[in-house]
Amino acid sequence: MQNFRNIRLADIEPGDSFNIFFGYNAQGKTNLLESIYLLATLKSFRHARNRELINWDSSQARISGVLERDGVVRDIELALCGEGRKVRLDGKSLHRLSDFFGTLNMVVFSPDELTMVRGMPDARRRYLDRAVFSSDPGYLLVHHEYAKILKHRNALLRSGEDGQLETWTERFALAAVELVHRRLAFLEGIREGVQAFYREISGSDAEVRLSYRTPRLEQAGMASGDVGNVIKALQQSAMEERRRGMTLLGPHRDDIEFLLNGHPLKLTGSQGEQRSFVLALKMAEIAHIRRRFGIAPILLLDDISSELDEHRNRNFMEFLSTHSMQVFITTTDLANIRLASLAGCRKFRLEGGQILQ
Amino acid sequence: MLHFSSSFGRLLLELKKLPGVGEKTALRLAFHLLKSPANVRALAESLLEVVSRVRFCSTCFCITEDDPCAICTGDRDDATLCVVEEPQDVLAIERSQAFRGRYHVLQGALSPLSGITPSQLRIDELMRRLEQGTVGEVVIATNFSVEGEATALYLTRLIKPLGIRVTRLAHGIPIGSDLEYVDAATVQRAVLGRSEL
Ligand SMILES: Nc1ncnc2c1ncn2[C@@H]1O[C@H](COP(=O)(O)OP(=O)(O)OP(=O)(O)O)[C@@H](O)[C@H]1O
Ligand SMILES: [Mg+2]
Ligand SMILES: [Zn+2]
Repeated sequence: MQNFRNIRLADIEPGDSFNIFFGYNAQGKTNLLESIYLLATLKSFRHARNRELINWDSSQARISGVLERDGVVRDIELALCGEGRKVRLDGKSLHRLSDFFGTLNMVVFSPDELTMVRGMPDARRRYLDRAVFSSDPGYLLVHHEYAKILKHRNALLRSGEDGQLETWTERFALAAVELVHRRLAFLEGIREGVQAFYREISGSDAEVRLSYRTPRLEQAGMASGDVGNVIKALQQSAMEERRRGMTLLGPHRDDIEFLLNGHPLKLTGSQGEQRSFVLALKMAEIAHIRRRFGIAPILLLDDISSELDEHRNRNFMEFLSTHSMQVFITTTDLANIRLASLAGCRKFRLEGGQILQ
Repeated sequence: MLHFSSSFGRLLLELKKLPGVGEKTALRLAFHLLKSPANVRALAESLLEVVSRVRFCSTCFCITEDDPCAICTGDRDDATLCVVEEPQDVLAIERSQAFRGRYHVLQGALSPLSGITPSQLRIDELMRRLEQGTVGEVVIATNFSVEGEATALYLTRLIKPLGIRVTRLAHGIPIGSDLEYVDAATVQRAVLGRSEL
């Protein structure tokens, strides 16, 4: 890796189970984790743009990695330059992003997600989009398309031009239904897992549920994929949409509600319950990907140990050990990593953007 | 050293207006041209000739030197009309030799974001052609982009009520590619859009 954030030059050879990046605050631990995520998804989990990702004193950054799976070795190379992100797979450049995905499944878990239960709906949508994408490679394209149609439709609502509104409303409804369908399929895929893992973590027999919310479209049959009714609902809010110059319903405004014994976790759950829930969610996501692809994803854990109590920490680490996954963890203190033994881990100490092994 | 207000600087500026040409490519092209004056003259002449001779066909709106164009006047199937976004799409379909009907070039696609409305495309002209009653099937071959798909839908809504069959080009897995190397999104779409044999 070259000129990525505060890391001028680094080269690491991670092991196939636990890899720990440790060091004081602001040394580059999260940056290193971010570079791995970027290589797999071409996106930053901190939603950063190139300007923030490229070292301040450089004009371009490079990250490359060797991926080995079932004896097959692949080379991934990413160059960040200006606004562009260019990726090469096995020495060949790729023209369509979608050619690339599915090569590497990666799940990231950061303190951000631990607090999403309490946060604004957009934090939960971001989590959901990321999670669906990691288990459904086609989701990205659907999501891009939806976002583009939405922009067109909003531009149209602002312009007040009527001629093509029906057309864009129909395209919008189709894309919205497709997007929601994939989100629901994902949620269904993790449903049992979330329940089981939650009971395991909390040592209770609580009943947990994830409820997908489509404001204003619940009656319209959004969840059952009834495009005609969705169009009707859109037509009914046409006046208001024109006045405000934007599309007021659709998956860009949806939310998921987490329920504990029927009560909304957001409002009535304790902090511990909320965290256990997110942990269960993550574990279910990992198990789901493993079932779908026959292989566990690579997990990136950004300093979550500081946010969890001793018991939950141990429980989660145990889960990861028994799933024989490749894990990258950042921490300020090795003592926070509650593994039975650190013997099998590779440890990388970071200081001022340099790796001191 | 040459100044950028020189003729060389002006050439660079003009080259950079071309799609896909940046600073580096412009320099490379300019130096290449300097090395072969004979080629430059031929290129300059052909550029001027193109702009004076080539225009849009008044029937199908493809590019042509004679109006109406060779396809519009040629011996083709009058009953099928293929609608595309740009003249280069006509060339692509012609190369395939799979289509024997006539064409209609919209000269763009609907795009509220760039302010493109139906009246800016050759849609009125298309409808006038269809009203003559000879066309029994319209093949919509707009791009599979968000804008192309919306245009396809818009046209379908207009044309279907005339009792004319509307079809869409199929899309899916590129020929000669191994399934395992085609990206997952394409495979998913191809599976969803599978057809009866
Ligand atoms: N584009 C950039 N160029 C140079 N330095 C940068 C750039 N972007 C971020 N940094 C710096 O990188 C440093 C390390 O950031 P990072 O988030 O990796 O820290 P960390 O080791 O995870 O710390 P913490 O324990 O506090 O989470 C920060 O001080 C930040 O200012
Ligand atoms: Mg950090
Ligand atoms: Zn013609």
